[in-house]
Amino acid sequence: MEKAKISAYQLFVLIVLFEIGSALLVPLAIEAKQDAWLAILLGMTGGFFIFFMYHRLYLYYPDCLPTTYVQKIIGKFCGRILAFLYMIYFLYLAARVLRDFGEVLAVIAYPVTPITLNHAFLVLVVIYTVRKGIEVLARTGELFFVLIYLLAISGFILLLVSGLIDLNNLKPMLEEGLSPVIKVAFTQSLFFPFGEAVVFAMILPYLNNPKKAKIIGLSALGLSGINLAISMTVNIGVLGVSQVLRTQFPLLSTIQMIQLAEFLERLDIFFMLAVIVLGFFKISLFFYAAVIGTADLFHIKKPSQLAFPIGFVLLFLSIIIASNIMEHFREGLQIVPVYLHLPFQIILPLLLLIIAFFKNRKKRGQGKPST
Amino acid sequence: MPSFFKRKKPKKSSDNHPSQSFDSSLTANLDIIKQKTGNSPDVITRTLKVGTNPEIKIALVYVDGIVDGQSINDFLIEAIMEKHDLGDLLIQQEAFEIMAEGVVTIGSVKPVRDWDELFSSLMSGETIVLIDGINGALSADTKGGEQRSIQEPSTQMSILGPQGGFTESIGTNTAMVRRIIKNPNLWVETMKIGKVTNTDVAIMYVNGIANDKIIEEMRKRLKRIDTDSILESGYIEQLIQDQTATTFPTTYQAERPDIVAGNLLEGRIAVFVDGTPFVLLAPAVFIQFFQSVDDYYTRFDIATFLRLLRTLILIISLFAPALYIAATTFHQEMIPTQLLIVIAAQREIVPFPAFVEALIMEVTFEILREAGVRLPKAVGSAVSIVGALVIGQAAVQAGIVSPAMVIIVAITAIASFATPAFSMGISIRLIRFGFMTAAATFGFYGIVLGGIMLVVHLCSLRSFGVPYMSPLAPLIPANMKDTVVRYPWWAFKERPRLIASDENLIRQGEDQQPAPPSDRGMVNSRTEKGDRNEP
Amino acid sequence: MSRRLFLLFFIMISAVLLSGCWSQRELTNLAIVSALGIDKNEKGEYVGTFQIVNPGYVAGGLQGGAGGQSAPVTVRKSTGDNMMEMSRRLSTHLSRKQYFAHTNLLVIGEDLAKEEGILTILDVLDRDPEFRTTASVVIAQNGTAEDVLKALSPIDKIPANYVLKTMKYTEERWGENIDVALHEVITDLISPGKEPVITGFRFTGDGEQAEKLEKLQNTTPEALLQADGLAIIKDGKLTGWLDGETAKGAVWVLDKIQNTAIIVNWKEKKAAIAYEVIRQQTNVSAHIKNNTPSISIHIRAEGDIGEVTAPVDLTDEQTLLKIEKKVEQEIKKQVDNSIRHVQKEKADIFGFGEAVHRSDPAAWKKWKHEWNDLYFPELQVNMTVDAFVRRSGLRNKSYLSEVENNH
Repeated sequence: MEKAKISAYQLFVLIVLFEIGSALLVPLAIEAKQDAWLAILLGMTGGFFIFFMYHRLYLYYPDCLPTTYVQKIIGKFCGRILAFLYMIYFLYLAARVLRDFGEVLAVIAYPVTPITLNHAFLVLVVIYTVRKGIEVLARTGELFFVLIYLLAISGFILLLVSGLIDLNNLKPMLEEGLSPVIKVAFTQSLFFPFGEAVVFAMILPYLNNPKKAKIIGLSALGLSGINLAISMTVNIGVLGVSQVLRTQFPLLSTIQMIQLAEFLERLDIFFMLAVIVLGFFKISLFFYAAVIGTADLFHIKKPSQLAFPIGFVLLFLSIIIASNIMEHFREGLQIVPVYLHLPFQIILPLLLLIIAFFKNRKKRGQGKPST
Repeated sequence: MPSFFKRKKPKKSSDNHPSQSFDSSLTANLDIIKQKTGNSPDVITRTLKVGTNPEIKIALVYVDGIVDGQSINDFLIEAIMEKHDLGDLLIQQEAFEIMAEGVVTIGSVKPVRDWDELFSSLMSGETIVLIDGINGALSADTKGGEQRSIQEPSTQMSILGPQGGFTESIGTNTAMVRRIIKNPNLWVETMKIGKVTNTDVAIMYVNGIANDKIIEEMRKRLKRIDTDSILESGYIEQLIQDQTATTFPTTYQAERPDIVAGNLLEGRIAVFVDGTPFVLLAPAVFIQFFQSVDDYYTRFDIATFLRLLRTLILIISLFAPALYIAATTFHQEMIPTQLLIVIAAQREIVPFPAFVEALIMEVTFEILREAGVRLPKAVGSAVSIVGALVIGQAAVQAGIVSPAMVIIVAITAIASFATPAFSMGISIRLIRFGFMTAAATFGFYGIVLGGIMLVVHLCSLRSFGVPYMSPLAPLIPANMKDTVVRYPWWAFKERPRLIASDENLIRQGEDQQPAPPSDRGMVNSRTEKGDRNEP
Repeated sequence: MSRRLFLLFFIMISAVLLSGCWSQRELTNLAIVSALGIDKNEKGEYVGTFQIVNPGYVAGGLQGGAGGQSAPVTVRKSTGDNMMEMSRRLSTHLSRKQYFAHTNLLVIGEDLAKEEGILTILDVLDRDPEFRTTASVVIAQNGTAEDVLKALSPIDKIPANYVLKTMKYTEERWGENIDVALHEVITDLISPGKEPVITGFRFTGDGEQAEKLEKLQNTTPEALLQADGLAIIKDGKLTGWLDGETAKGAVWVLDKIQNTAIIVNWKEKKAAIAYEVIRQQTNVSAHIKNNTPSISIHIRAEGDIGEVTAPVDLTDEQTLLKIEKKVEQEIKKQVDNSIRHVQKEKADIFGFGEAVHRSDPAAWKKWKHEWNDLYFPELQVNMTVDAFVRRSGLRNKSYLSEVENNH
């Protein structure tokens, strides 16, 4: 574990940037059609419960990383294996986000450039950042948070002023009843992006004010959920459900629609590349968790030394996980939620929590008479 | 002279001075001085004879030009010659005490213990008094000589506020700050740094406002310096900064006493170096380099406007050429159709890719700028004429560059000069080339990656432990009042946290916001109707 | 450490230099396509017409650009069995790479639209990241897209801009044509409850003359392009045209009217008063009763009196009310005609189906497959129009009333 502390506000910023991250790019919860916003908000409330779970674990062991406390909970050997699996999970997710953004780049502006090269440069920046540590990442987040919101607000105003948002596209509400919405919420939007906040279990121990962890986590998840819902609403309002269903990157298409004063048009590249900043944070946080966790697991004194080797693994992983964009998205929608997200985000933390609960009760029970 | 010069030089044995004690014979002592100074003709030895019986020889040794001849005449030579019974008194061993207490009428006099000390005070402009038959010496502070008078600063101009800038003399400079902050808590510590140059370096801070930890850190870093020479404050800057692998300045160079005073009151520490008008201020944060003293002297709305303008300037001078390259070679769709056609028409005959074109113009401009700085004033105007022709008209007419590129380079150049701090302006200029390369290889993606890298780098910097991007990151809401926007003075309740001492953050009372008198009649109540000839 | 740094530096530099040429496009290697036209020839191949900007001649007055000496655009043709083949084959006789990001106009030949339909040609435009779906779509009435793209225009140097601006301002000021973007056409094509309409452009005058630069030297061009009519597209095929007032009526229902003039009679005198619409709002809603849908349209128009050619006392409140009534009737007549005409065409260009979908999703599910052929033509449409006169220009009574009094 690094010797570093981040403030409550910094944690808030990091969670928001992380959550919005790649979820802003893809047609999130679009299978709920015009009720996507509702599915997102429902997924968000589910995300709250996941957050409660590892917040509880954090309260049991406020001073050490999950890689350390799983060993305390389920024993050294099993704990190490589980922690190592988590590191691979984080690294895989980092690679997925990296691939998401690589594909966006390839589609919008760099069709000829090898995707590996685009990835490599982003990975270099990520490695540079992670070597500097969590404090620097948090501070960078504070600056970019403002920038991203300024851009988002200006984009929203541009869309509003050009009169593109047609709320009729959101009607009829609940066309098929509530059940498809709930299904989408708890099979997709719960895991991605809200459940992915499980990576913050690795960041929470750095918080300088542990009491605030809960309120910060919930409000950050809430803000990002609302933002994502708004963005999806705007996408559907501008493009209509059918077009959002057809497109791989709805935000891109939405911004393409802006035409103002014969000057502010075709701004999509500008906005999309600003979105890369969000991707950078998401990748950095996953990657940081993987690096710091591995260092903790194998008792490596300087985690920054691991950044380069693991960075290369990340780069390779991001290329080999899928051979084309369709495969990549299919994996993301069908395989990953069931086989990776569900166990790693819900089942395992829940088991850990139950065991930790009994262990700590026992401890407290034993401790009480002696004091 | 101020007492702070008395502090002894840190004891580092210096091998070119003999450390043995003085001889009792005057001629022997003088011979040693002559020998050690290589018989330099500007080391002047003036021998006086006092008393009749016995006749005692007194020698005054000083270096011509760096002493104040008037005070040597008035307060040393005359004082010694007029004291007729001096001869009798000086036989005793306490002769120097008698001299110091009863004869010499100069402000600062001190005994000299060994040769090291003798030479160091001789070389800094003091006059050495030697007495025949007594093994010892006395130094009298007669520093003086020709100095530049106080003039307007050449790098930090302002429209409002005091117009005097620092000079090359450390004494004058510290005095100028003392004249502004009239408070005994304004503390000064001095030391000599540089084995050969023996440069006077003073650190100044307001006790109670400055953070003790930072003062201690500053002392430690200055004491660490072991070099032969300190010729300018830039030497010190490079030897004490936190991180060397950066182009950004982590100490602020001030040439005006009001800047130094203002920063001392925010809890910063000033480092004065003899022989230069540039005073270092630490810790320095990023936004400080985009603020100017004028901001504090004008009303807040105007100051805020100027600061927003400077933010724009920063963006232009960092990104303008890079954006042009990216937009014309990668993202032509970004440019409005009409404008694209105009630019395309201009580029039609230009034989270079946009990146090369931009590089040619930027480098040409940098050469012109450098020439403009170095050339004597008489030739300077010739350079600007040639430059205007080369950069503007001729290059375009020759079809080497497009007019749009000239406009981009010109606006960038002007923007980079408009950055208030020179050291920041030049590092931005350097980074600009990096952005241009990134834009030429990856378009906007390159610019975004470079931007992220730059911000991460800036966030990782610290100046004396203070995060470089504070109060923006880490965000300190209380100190956001003096950043991109400047709040009115009555709203500045606090000194910058992290920089100033934690115990003394409040800088002004509550309720400082001015308001008109509640009773409007108050002003006029005593004037009767008709007093002012109103109808 | 320094060796590692050097290695890193070396890798970075080589990567930067190697990647230098990927995805990069110098402006001097781009052929900026301002408009794209698509036709079909006898062999059944697609014929693409590319209007390519000649920057030097557009931005006249610059060095190297001999403005006015040559045509501001060059038009190239290419054929192929599908769009991609057609577009790529153009490179055999074009020295630059076509660049579609600034293509703001897509012209479709009438024959192609009638016979084969527009469905197959739009996919590549929707898919390609370079081509913008905000481009406007136009159908070449009575001719080929090539004819439309070849014609030079007198004021706007780039002919595509002439078409675009004509369309924009006629929509704004007259309201018989509307500017439809490609993405709107695609959305309407997919939606079962709405069919697209596309503005038609017609060529008047001598076709041979249109592409000659000399014609621009006359004050009255002998050949001109003119916006004319709205094409009704059903199942991707052009099935009919709306002209004049029927077109305007359709634009009313589509809520696209911005400014237009309504001409009404006054006491025997024909076209006595011109009412200038300055603001309007059209609401379409659907009601389902007894398992049959009906539509109600509510139009609210505000405007000024623009011209009076009969002695009318505009200061009189009763007169104004009468005028408002007449205007309402006139609008109602236009819209009614239009709806009846379109119902005969069996193509729901108004989006009534979508209104039904919004108000009763369950019922819509049953109807949507046969909406255009069965339900739409029989649809009951109720309409209310509110028109308000707000101002009457600088004068109240016309001088005509004075003239009449004098006689």
